Amino acid sequence: MDSSLERYSRQMRFYGMGEAGQKKLLDSHVTLCGCGALGTVLANSLVRAGVGHVRVVDRDFIEPSNLQRQVLFDEQDITQNLPKAEAAARKLGIINSSVHVEPVVADIDRTNILELCRDADLILDGTDNFEIRYLINDVAVKLNKPWVYGGSIGSHGQTMTILPGETPCLRCVFEAAPAPGEAGTCETAGVLSPTVSIIASYQAVEALKILSGHREQINRDLIYVDIWENIQKRIKIAKLKDTVDCPCCKHRKFEWLEGEQGTQTTSLCGRNAVQVAHRRSDKLNFEDLARHLETLGEVSYNRFLLKFNVDGHEFTVFPDGRAIIKGTSDLDKARTLYAKYVGH
Amino acid sequence: MTVRIQIPTPMRQHTEGQATVEASGGSVQAVLEDLAKKYPGISQRIFENGQVRRFVNLYLNDEDVRYLDNLNTPVKDGDELSIIPAVAGG
Repeated sequence: MDSSLERYSRQMRFYGMGEAGQKKLLDSHVTLCGCGALGTVLANSLVRAGVGHVRVVDRDFIEPSNLQRQVLFDEQDITQNLPKAEAAARKLGIINSSVHVEPVVADIDRTNILELCRDADLILDGTDNFEIRYLINDVAVKLNKPWVYGGSIGSHGQTMTILPGETPCLRCVFEAAPAPGEAGTCETAGVLSPTVSIIASYQAVEALKILSGHREQINRDLIYVDIWENIQKRIKIAKLKDTVDCPCCKHRKFEWLEGEQGTQTTSLCGRNAVQVAHRRSDKLNFEDLARHLETLGEVSYNRFLLKFNVDGHEFTVFPDGRAIIKGTSDLDKARTLYAKYVGH
Repeated sequence: MTVRIQIPTPMRQHTEGQATVEASGGSVQAVLEDLAKKYPGISQRIFENGQVRRFVNLYLNDEDVRYLDNLNTPVKDGDELSIIPAVAGG
């Protein structure tokens, strides 16, 4: 055995991997979109396993409330005010200095996602909202690259693996994102760390199968768990590929990539406020949204608008999904606040 | 026909916090109508203008009803219907 591979000896001894599989991992490029709860577990698994090039993309900084579940970060990172991508790369560099970790501090959107994913053998979902997931889905189908979806909140989570042309894509299975207020976010509904670890671990093993050349082993079901209610399910979704008239993988209409769906942000000059316009086909249900936000502070609404205050920001949300967020003029921050508290 | 229905967390406020409830009917549609009768309020979380909301998926015994016969899919005693919306966080 090549002595440089010694650190992977237990993994190579596993019958499905071997030295040949390990060498394929070392030659692989992965783009990890998002480095929060799912993303840190994924990055940790990939780098320890010896995936040769991991691009970690994240737009955010580390906050104390992240430490309960975002396993690569610690109190020192907060003191140093490090962006998540950078802090993750420093930790990962100590864990395994023989692979290349490339931190990218950026907000993934339709203008940069093609470049971020073009050279990847696999795209991994470590994000926290459906807007970016549909964008990843568009890019993966367009570039014919595999990707692995994972989502988790509270005590439940789900994951599926998408091989364009072979399996249903995300839009085949979930035709639309949950309406704000319907599914909650980690800020409003909370999240248990083991939920995230389980879903990210399912995603990580799918990554190992694909990158080591074992596509035949991938999971073709939608896996759903609720670890508080002791529910584990495998939903058979393979037939949806032929049943659903999917705009993305059947008609190759990439609505998120082409900007026909998604969010636009505009700074409101002189007002220290940003307008976030989220294009959606249905009207917001203020009753649902208010119920989720009530745990965070006072919420008031009438049929025209909903108002609430959180983290020193005043949100005014309109039925078409548009919001004006006061207390910032930073577009990325406003987009992050919208995803956190209103959701997609 | 009595069917066990799994209720997702965001909808449990309408089922007195229960994760699993029972409802009766001969088809998925009839079972959901019975569910709405027993637990008023849940209907608007599942349906919009008579259609299942696009981010809510229905699975009968772990099969997606879209490749069965959608809401007309027949059910039998002891079947399990799961209501599973897309999960956003991460």
